[in-house]
Amino acid sequence: MARKLSVTALVLLVLVAVALPADAQKGPIKIGFLAPVTGGAAQVGKDMVNGLMMWLEEHGNQIAGRKVEVIVEDTQGQPNIALTKVAKLVESDKVHVLAGGLFAHVGYALAPRVDQLGVPMLYPVMAADDLTQRKPTKWVVRNGWTSSQPNHPFGEYVAKTLGYKKVVTVAIDYSFGWEQVGGFQKTFEENGGQIVQKLWPPLGTTDFAPYLSQIKRDADAVFALMVAQSALRFPRQYQDAGLKARLPLLGGGTTFDEFVLPSLGDEALGAYSALMYSAALDTPINKKFVETYRKKYGKVPSYYSEVCYTTGRWINDAARAVGGDVENRESFLAALRKVEVPDAPRGPVKLDAHGNPVQNIYIRKVEKKGGELWNTVIHTYPAVGQFWKYKPEEFLKQPVYDRNYPPCKAC
Amino acid sequence: MSGPPTNTIALELTNIGKAFGGLLAVDGVSLAMRPGERRAILGPNGAGKTTLFSLISGEQPVTSGRIHLFGHDVTRTSAHRRAALGLARTYQITNLFPRLTALDNCLLAVQALSRTKFHLHRPLTGYAGHFVRARAVLDSVGLAVKEGEQVRNLSHGEQRQLEIALALAGSPRLLLLDEPTAGLSPAESQLMVGLLQRLDPAISILIIEHDMDVAFEVTDRITVLHYGRVVADGLAADVKTNPLVQEIYLGAAEP
Amino acid sequence: METFIRRAPRAAALVAAVLLLALPPFVSSFMLSLMTQALVWAMLAMSLDLLLGYIGLASLGHAAYLALGAYSVGILTTRHGADFWTSLAVGIAVAALGAAVFGLVALRATGVYFLMITLALGMTVWGLANRWVSLTSGDNGIAGVPRPRGLPWDVSGALPFYYLVLVAFAVAFVVLWTVVHSPFGKTLVGIRESESRMRTLGYHVWLHKYIAFVIAGAAGGFAGVFWGYYNGFVSPADAELATSVEILLMVALGGRGTLFGPVLGAFVIVLLRNVVSIYTHRWLLILGAVYIGTIVYAPEGIIGMARDWLKARARAPLRPAPSP
Repeated sequence: MARKLSVTALVLLVLVAVALPADAQKGPIKIGFLAPVTGGAAQVGKDMVNGLMMWLEEHGNQIAGRKVEVIVEDTQGQPNIALTKVAKLVESDKVHVLAGGLFAHVGYALAPRVDQLGVPMLYPVMAADDLTQRKPTKWVVRNGWTSSQPNHPFGEYVAKTLGYKKVVTVAIDYSFGWEQVGGFQKTFEENGGQIVQKLWPPLGTTDFAPYLSQIKRDADAVFALMVAQSALRFPRQYQDAGLKARLPLLGGGTTFDEFVLPSLGDEALGAYSALMYSAALDTPINKKFVETYRKKYGKVPSYYSEVCYTTGRWINDAARAVGGDVENRESFLAALRKVEVPDAPRGPVKLDAHGNPVQNIYIRKVEKKGGELWNTVIHTYPAVGQFWKYKPEEFLKQPVYDRNYPPCKAC
Repeated sequence: MSGPPTNTIALELTNIGKAFGGLLAVDGVSLAMRPGERRAILGPNGAGKTTLFSLISGEQPVTSGRIHLFGHDVTRTSAHRRAALGLARTYQITNLFPRLTALDNCLLAVQALSRTKFHLHRPLTGYAGHFVRARAVLDSVGLAVKEGEQVRNLSHGEQRQLEIALALAGSPRLLLLDEPTAGLSPAESQLMVGLLQRLDPAISILIIEHDMDVAFEVTDRITVLHYGRVVADGLAADVKTNPLVQEIYLGAAEP
Repeated sequence: METFIRRAPRAAALVAAVLLLALPPFVSSFMLSLMTQALVWAMLAMSLDLLLGYIGLASLGHAAYLALGAYSVGILTTRHGADFWTSLAVGIAVAALGAAVFGLVALRATGVYFLMITLALGMTVWGLANRWVSLTSGDNGIAGVPRPRGLPWDVSGALPFYYLVLVAFAVAFVVLWTVVHSPFGKTLVGIRESESRMRTLGYHVWLHKYIAFVIAGAAGGFAGVFWGYYNGFVSPADAELATSVEILLMVALGGRGTLFGPVLGAFVIVLLRNVVSIYTHRWLLILGAVYIGTIVYAPEGIIGMARDWLKARARAPLRPAPSP
């Protein structure tokens, strides 16, 4: 009998606990974070999670006076899993804000779903141009970059400052590669350069010999856009093919980012690339960021770490602007769009009218310091937006960059 | 599909041959069977008997010669079309549907020559006629009580009987039996002989048989194969006394 | 006891059907989305089982039909404003057509060669999805697929959409159930058991395989249509080899040669993949262990294991199941 009573009491207790209205008192601010924690891109996913966690830990896991709870969900790098998980985060976990994600197609998949769910989501990494150009969505706030953004200034820099006239591009054959090459080609050719050949190894290529042998030897330089395992292998094969001595190597930001540099050797030395971040950026804020990150995670932060670190700051600033009332989604979204970070590790960041960051783009050169490879910043283009020097209306009239746009006239 | 029944010749092989690389497994065999004829094919192992069956059934193409079935030239005709003309065969190494029941095995055989085999809009259980026929076939080989048993659980003897049942299900006019008594006990062999003797006399039967007694009990004519060639052909009694046959087959093969 | 054992599968199916019908209004929206997904995968797994379980042909290209169906929906709804019935008809037709072409190539082979050829054919669809950018938007995929329109009732909510998929699943199940139990279905099992015997009995074996191959493709496309609507997004990931492998594993895990097996396999894998991965990032290890466990201890899948267990109980009702 006593046993029966205690069971009844227990059941009642559980019922009461469940039935208690969730917002009786203000609970923690819940952040739903999506990253590929397993699968081929797991290492990138870890850099992303580390970045966010580090900011939160530095600030006592508090935002606007409320505790913060982060729920990390594994996208496995797959759009359909990401779609399921984002719904789970919003509907089951009742998160107040979403962030993260990797790969352009995951970004395109998530955007309409996020709009449906009506919860703001930050895109610190997913860079597909059209997400803030021809296909913007209400609830997605991009605080990262567009694929072509760093290469608009880079194309000009290569033509004007480095003085190369003929360049061959070798880029991984998917939208991120197309957009990177497209941005580079546009400004490079407008400044007197010529793209004389475009080669497109497929995603996941590790043997570049067939492509390297095709490279026109009368060019002045080679622009390579590599990611992940391709980035690890390309520079060495480029050197072994005897090309490094004859044709200087240029790259997209991911070709030589801090994610791959520790695995590269002298073959990467002297390579130029452009990105909105470099771990070698010589500012007090960045130095402190790199030092703390190294101490904590035992490696140099990559741009993935930096953008996610700044994402913590971003959410914080927006939440404070609405007085911690993140439950009011509309005003919280508006606040997220108004955030200006004057002192992120990568430099000052704010959003343009189309919702993409305006930020510094750094021209970087791989150099050896203290036995390690670093992306030394040799030139800074301040406050670069996704449309570079073009009028947005004009720019948006051209199609999104792809394999055949801009067309290769000198090929 | 089948033409008018011809009273003249059920099966006619004209100088057919089969080469595997350089080896002539069947070498210029000619043979004719009239309707209702019962003929045995004898020969030592490797004489090309089973290959000959595969050529007749269409499972393997001939490399030379012509094959006529009930007056139709079937030399280049596929196995399933020859079956439609009234040809059926059994296998020396039991070739059934082991994970299906005995009844299902017969159902497959029964519907093989019917258009209903392409019906996919209603369950098989709705085809009462097929079941009646399948049970009759099963009963004719004495396996009616085993209809629900999975074939792999049947005894070897029962499986040999089922082999015959499957061949009979399509009401064939020419039956090729490849060692129906292989691996059977003397008692089971006797049952099989009885079964074969009770078959409709209109059916022509070509039978490969190692057991001479069985061959003589069931058939009236005998063809002897050796190294793919016909070395003797005639009435049972004549072939029995053929000295060449006695030397190469009866003497050598029977220890 | 005897009757209990005979009735157990039927009772289990009935309970499952009641749960699928009655449970959704009471589960969390996340669980609801998983159930919707699992039903789509169940349709796919059943369609593959027609090949693997009934004819004994292991195809590694089944994701192609998922993709053909899903891309049909993606392209038709986002660019031509097509309604549900048009998308459905085109999705099935395109997948069936794809299977009709692929079947001509693939059915020349059996066993490992069939596996390789279907793998290659599946990759061509993946390649097209990636490279035919003007049609498919390449690896960006097609986003913004709306919920089905043109139906007598509104299915934009998650719950009505679930019931739409449930109805689709029921249709697929009944159709496939009828096919495998028809005279034609029996011929497929006959081909699995002995192709040569079927031939000499008078069956045009290739034709039967071909018809089944096209039906499986069409059913895969049917599932793909709902997959496109469910995700609201289509991308080359749908046509990936990994997707084909997963469908194959669902069939193997649940138990091939029965329609319930693939359904069970689909639910188990969808839940493992999505729920276990919430609790541990080692979910792949768990999934791997489940697969290996299946291959080693239950080669006939969960359904096969249950059937053996029931049989063992029937034979020795008083003793526990004999240890292996």
